[in-house]
Amino acid sequence: MAIISAKNSLCSVISSNPDIIPLINRFGITLGVKDKTIERICNDNALDIEFFISILNTYINEDFFPEKILKSFRAETIVNYISQTYNYYIHYMLPNIERHFNLLIAHSGDNNNLGLMFQFFKELKNDILQNINHDIHQWFPLIISASLNETAPNLKFIAPSNSSIIEDKINDLKNMFIIHLTGKYDLNLCYAVISSIISFEKDIRQNNRIRNRILYLIYKNTINK
Amino acid sequence: MVFVIIHDTIQALGLKYIFKNYFNISITHVHPSLMHTIIDNESSIYITTPHLLHENNDFFQSKKNQTVIITQAPTTDPMSINLHHEECDIIQQISSILESIGTTSQKPSDRLSQREIEVLKLIAMGYINKEIAHKLSISFNTVLTHRKNISSKLGIKSVSGLGIYAVMNGYISEPNLKR
Repeated sequence: MAIISAKNSLCSVISSNPDIIPLINRFGITLGVKDKTIERICNDNALDIEFFISILNTYINEDFFPEKILKSFRAETIVNYISQTYNYYIHYMLPNIERHFNLLIAHSGDNNNLGLMFQFFKELKNDILQNINHDIHQWFPLIISASLNETAPNLKFIAPSNSSIIEDKINDLKNMFIIHLTGKYDLNLCYAVISSIISFEKDIRQNNRIRNRILYLIYKNTINK
Repeated sequence: MVFVIIHDTIQALGLKYIFKNYFNISITHVHPSLMHTIIDNESSIYITTPHLLHENNDFFQSKKNQTVIITQAPTTDPMSINLHHEECDIIQQISSILESIGTTSQKPSDRLSQREIEVLKLIAMGYINKEIAHKLSISFNTVLTHRKNISSKLGIKSVSGLGIYAVMNGYISEPNLKR
C-alpha cells in the first residue's frame, strides 16, 4: 500500500481502503468528504495533521510503524485517540458482532456449536470491557497526571492490562468459525459474523500496537524520570 | 524464520516483498555486523551473498543445508537465487528452494493424538499444568509440549477456547467445562 501524505485526497484513500471508514469516524470525520485533501479536512476539523496521517498509515500498512514519529506526540493526544477507539468498540463494533451472532443463531436451527461459540464471544466481550474499563478509569488518568508532571507519591506504577490474551481469544473465535464449525447454518449471516470478527481483530491489533509500543513507553519513561 | 544477511537494504526489501507476497513468509533483514545476534534454529533459513558466506565461514559451516546464496552470475546451484533473472524466475527459484527445504510441505497431521485429547480434556476441566502432569504421570515439560501441539493443531490458544472446542467435539460435557 502506498504511504499516505497530507496532499492525498481523502476520498481516494477511502476508495482504496474502505476499512478506514470507522477509523476516520473516530476523528469526527464522516462520509461525504468531497475531493478535499487530507490537509484541508484536518484543518476544517481542527485535527493534528501529522497525528492523523501517522494513524492512517499505521492502520493501512501493517508493516509500517513510524515509532519515532508516534512517540513524538503528546500522551494526551494518544490517550484521546485510544479512548475514541474504545468508544467505537463499545458502541458499534461489539454490538454489531453480537447482533449478527444472535441473528445467525436464530436462523440456523438447532446448531448447538453456535450457541457454545456465542458463549465464548460473551466471555471475550467481557474481557474486552474489563480491559477498557481498567485503561479508562485507572491507567489513562495516571498517564495524563504523569505527563502533566504531577509528582509522586500519587504516581504509583499501574501496569496496563494484558492485551495479548484478548488478541489470542479473537483469533480463537475466528478459527472456531473457519476451522471447526459444523452443522447447518445461515451462510450470509455467518459471513457477516466472520467479517465483523476479522475487521475487529485487525482494529484491535493495530490499536494495541499503538497502546503497547507507544503509549506504554511514553508512560514508563515519564514514571521513571 | 528466514534471515537475510546482506548489506544492501534495497535488495533485502525486495526479498522481503517477494517472500511476504508470494509465500506469506516474513523475513528479517540482519546487517552482517549483527550476525552474532541471530539465535540459531534448525528450521531457520539464511540468505546471504557468496562474499559474506566466505567471510563468515564459521557461522555458516553448520548451516550449509539451510543457506541460500544470492548471486549476480549464472549458476546451477539449486540453493541460489540469481538477482539478474526475471521476477517470475526468481519466484520459481525461491519456490523450489522452499520446497526442497520443506518449508512449504504440509504438516503430517492436524488430528489430535489420544494423549493430546486426554490433556485437552483436563485443560477444559480447569486443571493447571502441574495437576495435569500429576494426573497423567508425565513431566511438566511434556504437558507444555502437548499444550503447544494442541494449540498449533487446532488454532486455539486460550483455555476457555479449548474448553469450548472440547465440548463442541464431545470430549467433555458442558457441565464439566471450567467456568
